[in-house]
Amino acid sequence: MRPRHVLIAVYVAAAAVFIFLPVVMLVLYSFQDGLVPVPPFRGFSLRWYEKVFANRKLLEAMGNSVVVGGLSSAVAASLGFLAAYGLARSRPRRADAIQYALMAPITVSYLIIGMGLLITFNGAGIDRSLVAVGIGHVVINLPLCFAIAYSQLGEHQANVERAAQDLGASDLQALLLITVPMLWPTILAAFFIAFTLSWDEFVIAFLLSKFDVTLPVVIWNMLHAGLSPELNAAGTLVFTTSIALVILVELLLARGNRRG
Amino acid sequence: MAEPLVRLSGVVKRYGETVAVERIDLDIGAGEFVVLLGPSGSGKTTVLSMIGGFTAPSEGRIFIGGEDVTDLPPARRPKATVFQDYALFPHMSVRNNVGFGLAMRKVAKAERDARADAMLKLVGLDGFGDRGIHQLSGGQRQRVALARAIAVEPKVLLLDEPLGALDLALRRQMQEELVHIQKRLGTTFVHVTHDQEEAMSIADRIVVMRAGRIEDVGAPARVYLQPATLFTATFMGESNILPGEVVEATSSVAWVKTAIATLAVPAQAAIGTRVNLSIRPEQLVIGRAAEGTEDLGTGRVSETSFQGTHLRARVAMQAGGGELLLRAPATLDLAVRGTIQLSVRPVDVVLLKG
Repeated sequence: MRPRHVLIAVYVAAAAVFIFLPVVMLVLYSFQDGLVPVPPFRGFSLRWYEKVFANRKLLEAMGNSVVVGGLSSAVAASLGFLAAYGLARSRPRRADAIQYALMAPITVSYLIIGMGLLITFNGAGIDRSLVAVGIGHVVINLPLCFAIAYSQLGEHQANVERAAQDLGASDLQALLLITVPMLWPTILAAFFIAFTLSWDEFVIAFLLSKFDVTLPVVIWNMLHAGLSPELNAAGTLVFTTSIALVILVELLLARGNRRG
Repeated sequence: MAEPLVRLSGVVKRYGETVAVERIDLDIGAGEFVVLLGPSGSGKTTVLSMIGGFTAPSEGRIFIGGEDVTDLPPARRPKATVFQDYALFPHMSVRNNVGFGLAMRKVAKAERDARADAMLKLVGLDGFGDRGIHQLSGGQRQRVALARAIAVEPKVLLLDEPLGALDLALRRQMQEELVHIQKRLGTTFVHVTHDQEEAMSIADRIVVMRAGRIEDVGAPARVYLQPATLFTATFMGESNILPGEVVEATSSVAWVKTAIATLAVPAQAAIGTRVNLSIRPEQLVIGRAAEGTEDLGTGRVSETSFQGTHLRARVAMQAGGGELLLRAPATLDLAVRGTIQLSVRPVDVVLLKG
């Protein structure tokens, strides 16, 4: 290997360690056969996972996270797709301005969005709840879902819809029989990306929930009692779910591109 | 022509200040294979899109089968389109693609499938019904697009540069097949292309367009051999254009003085008119003027290139310093820098006014 290549390899390795070491530590010490998740590693055990699956609070929160993530992502993906479809097909005069306006919330921090929603809900007399959290997650995920769908609605897709209309399909038939099935991998990918973000979103979930909480909030509460390999196990489950979803999204998008 | 199947009457298309199509009148007869031919920006695709209903004309009316369809959406016009990028439905099988139009017409599944399979057979894709679109080659997709469009038995089939993405050999083959299918079905075809060879080989009638206007309309042989305008003469293939002035005229013959020679042309023109003469390279005759030909003088061969079917040569003419393009038989041994004598039959010279 030439020196240049050695340097590059060292740099890449260092970057990978920097990024993945914390996660590796988290996962490794979830298997700790001991009471604290700190070195040295005392041996391999699944007892903390048993404890997680026996912890009703954690399981309930996990269920809440699935429901909030599932519903908010379905709403965000549907609204995002419809917004993208409407914008791409009706081509209003200032389409670019509308596009930027729809995507602008991406630049606002979750803390600001969460505070804004908290104040708004307070003013409207709506109590903090999982519904409020779900609405918050629609707010943060809608721009992303819109952007993903909009990027896939090009001139070729428009032509395919035209072909359907040319053969006698109404606008609604073209949308339901052609556009949605054709973009189905993209819509699903948007859904799962939204779900992944909702799944481990903490700030908004913390600010807008009350008695029923999502998984990240429960983990946060448990952290007050100090470090425990049980938290590592819970965190590992969150992380594994996210990774699985990301892989699913990659597969879906690859499939969508092959079709296109 | 009896009742035209498609009629464009005073059709104009403007995009803001830009005029894409400038007041077009065109009648297309039932069963005709018409090709709209022109360079990009000539408005040919816009015309097709207006017949299809995807672009609304700024002025004028469009009729199909005697019915005014100007205000009808694409779905309600009795036509079908073969799109340039095929626009097949990627999530459906080949059979369901072809049967889609029939499904929209509420044809029962069994009959729809039978008709889709018959259409696939017609385009040479017998047994491909169960395949997915992404399993097909470009040429096969092209055939599916064609089968899908003719499956609904349109009165007129619109083809938007459908062969543009195919390689030359496949293109030739598809051109022949298009003609066969068109003659067999008797459907009116309106085909858009920028390729004049394609236009000549498939069309019953060519509509030459430039800058939103119709330059010339006629059978391929007429448009090629007797072009109506200078643009048509040059766009339909290589041509020698000789600018000149009418110096003498009778009611049927004009004598045109050009830099190379003065030629008697069978055409009507007033004395003093500035005109262009067009002579196709293959119509130049090598040798001294014989009975019935006009002398063009001698020239020196400056360049030759072997083209397989013929020999292409540039000849610098002695008189006037002009240059003529010549197509000679491929077997002719033409020496570069050799001197040759050229002549032409007056009927092969086209007089272009303006």
